[in-house]
Amino acid sequence: MSIFLQACVNGLLMGGFYSLMGMGQNVIFGVMKIVNFCHGEMLMVGMYLTYVLSTTFGLDPYLCVPLVAILMFCLGAVIQHTLITPSLGTKSFTNLLFLTVGLGLLLSNGALVLFGSEYRTIPTTYSQTYISLGPVNLALPRLISFGVLIVISVVLFAFLKYTKTGKQIRAVSQNPVGAEVVGINTKRIYILTYGIGTALAGVAGALLTGFYTIFPTAGASFGFRALIVVVVGGLGSIPGAFFAGIFLGLLETMVALFISPSYSDLIVFITFIVILVVRQLIIIRRK
Amino acid sequence: MLKVEGLRAGYGAINILWDLTFEVRDGEIVAILGSNGAGKTTMVRTVCGMLRPSAGSVLFNGEELAKKNSRAVLDSGIVQVPEGRQLFTEMTVLENLEMGAFNKETRAAFQQNLRKVYQWFPKLEERAKQSAGTLSGGEQQMVAVARALIGMPKLLILDEPSLGLAPNIVDDILAVASSMARNDGISVMLVEQDITKALACADRGYVIENGRIALTGSAAELSANEHVKKAYLGI
Repeated sequence: MSIFLQACVNGLLMGGFYSLMGMGQNVIFGVMKIVNFCHGEMLMVGMYLTYVLSTTFGLDPYLCVPLVAILMFCLGAVIQHTLITPSLGTKSFTNLLFLTVGLGLLLSNGALVLFGSEYRTIPTTYSQTYISLGPVNLALPRLISFGVLIVISVVLFAFLKYTKTGKQIRAVSQNPVGAEVVGINTKRIYILTYGIGTALAGVAGALLTGFYTIFPTAGASFGFRALIVVVVGGLGSIPGAFFAGIFLGLLETMVALFISPSYSDLIVFITFIVILVVRQLIIIRRK
Repeated sequence: MLKVEGLRAGYGAINILWDLTFEVRDGEIVAILGSNGAGKTTMVRTVCGMLRPSAGSVLFNGEELAKKNSRAVLDSGIVQVPEGRQLFTEMTVLENLEMGAFNKETRAAFQQNLRKVYQWFPKLEERAKQSAGTLSGGEQQMVAVARALIGMPKLLILDEPSLGLAPNIVDDILAVASSMARNDGISVMLVEQDITKALACADRGYVIENGRIALTGSAAELSANEHVKKAYLGI
């Protein structure tokens, strides 16, 4: 029983990361209707950024989070303005596919050139600290990360729901023509959106460094999972992505517990395919 | 007030508008008539800064708008109710109306204008918290008109308000438009396919055919015109 509870908690804590990645991907998809194939690599960039900041200036990895968020937002904004916005006008999906996949390759290989292929960690005094909650032991870094994730999710949700800019982002995602009719500067919203999406991925990377190894392809598995989260939770839906992320995290740890850790990727992807097929059947039946 | 001269515009290599010239004076209701595909919506998009004209000028109260973007056109006081309404269907009615306040001035006057708009369309106050997509076609058209009024237009452009609506709802919306022109000094450009309805409330009209002004005159003259009768009224 206690093993089961432990697995639940671990799944929940990991699922938070998938949620965050999925929400970033979904904000971008909602507004521009493009899939950001370098989302996982942005997480990796966030990890290395945290590594550099904390090894150079001796900052605690968690204190790096706001800095990483700002820097990653700027990176995303520049990429959007210089590369993605000009490609949006061509109405060709393949352009953006190659662009974002290519950017991903560039980023992970860039990291390989700069940092080499070795696995790195950021040592902290509390990395091995555990908190006991009844039968469950919680690693302190994971717990802090999860807390920050929840706060960020709530803030993002409130931002989109209540602020003027958040409403403008939703307006553009629901009806770009209507948005132009009411004078919303769509290009500015695109820059903001891609900046926010990239910042969310970067923050996920920064939060991971407390207990995860840093290497050039660390983002790949998170990038894939973000796609699953987005598809399962509903394209463009922020709450959908949040819950799908948690579900995915729980599924992984349950598979690891009851079957074998080596099957967790396999089962995750099989579940994904099953969900897709079932959903398609439901759609066909409704018609 | 609005003076459009020699306007030429289109999409890429396809030119739609050829040398369009017309004007809307203060407090006037002008009908822009024409069949489907005549270029009416292209004209609206060009005047509103959503499409760059390749030639010609759009003068509004002396200001040249031909090279301006949609936000600058809104700032100058031209607000449109677009064809197909273009609402934000998953946002509430109130949120849709909020989006109509595009600059500092309109945001500052929002509450006051909201009360006015609710007087015109009491239904919208009841439905304020409902998402716009759940409303009936007529109610959605009311939201679109209300959203434009929140932007405090000097010139209100109504693009095909009758499209897909029951006749009595069209009458309601046109009644609001005429009353605004008569009482609040707002000029109205009514872009319509339904020529009978449009000429019934307009002062003057222009007929667009193949991207050019084919005919112009007072509402009474146009209604009596043989060509209009034959081509558009089926008499």
